[in-house]
Amino acid sequence: MVKYDPDRIGERSEPRVHEIEKGAIRRFAEALGETDPVYFDLEEAERQGYSGLLAPPTFPFTLRRNPIPGLRLPRAGVIHGEQEFTYGRPICSGDVISVVSWLEDVKVREGSRGPMTLVTAASEGSHQDGTMAFWARSVMIVMEGVE
Amino acid sequence: MWQEGDEFGPRDMVLTREQLVRYAGASGDFNPIHYDDERARGFGLPGVIAHGMLNMGLMARVLKEEAPAGACLERFGVRFRSMVRPGDPITIGGRVTAIESSDGKTRAHLQVTLGVRDGSPAVSGEAVLSWPAS
Repeated sequence: MVKYDPDRIGERSEPRVHEIEKGAIRRFAEALGETDPVYFDLEEAERQGYSGLLAPPTFPFTLRRNPIPGLRLPRAGVIHGEQEFTYGRPICSGDVISVVSWLEDVKVREGSRGPMTLVTAASEGSHQDGTMAFWARSVMIVMEGVE
Repeated sequence: MWQEGDEFGPRDMVLTREQLVRYAGASGDFNPIHYDDERARGFGLPGVIAHGMLNMGLMARVLKEEAPAGACLERFGVRFRSMVRPGDPITIGGRVTAIESSDGKTRAHLQVTLGVRDGSPAVSGEAVLSWPAS
């Protein structure tokens, strides 16, 4: 069951701060089969104008966030339905990124396998000077009867 | 440079179990449905399935490899429609749906899909890339 408090929609979580490490970027890029040196070779990344190794586009999803105010998802049976990113200033190794999250919307729909709950959550990552690094939106689908 | 109607792909690949395990480690997503067949079946799945975010990451990789040099990704969104299992032959492709210029930038709007070969799209997405207008 999804438990949520409609009065807390939009309430921002405590920020969670991440130091972006070269090793984390390399391992992530490798796992996706990336070969672009901008993800692996510091000199090449700097030559292209980046301050460190560039993080691949979906890397922000790996940055843990603090609990979303007013939301409790079941431990299992949650399906990732949609994911969206809007990008600001690129994330590079050595950056310090602060992530906050909030609940955007909860809807119940009739699906082919019974009623399901669609939970939309958003998060925003910022650089230390306050510049936006990314904005992300996730839709999670929870089937009825899931504990 | 890209023009409206340009297409890229199809780029064919097969996800291996090793890739799923590597992605679990690199992303920190250790949900057992991505590496343990028995527990995946316990959740009503046919066996382990690929992380949605692994599929999205592969689409982003292909998108950036195919994009004009110096293009930067402004937006990327996907819908996960069906699951992908290790060993499934998959194919990634895209199409430029519109080109527009504003604020000294040229922007390309694209549709990107990841499909299990000869099947309907497993993941469908939309992206916006931009580069300085010449």
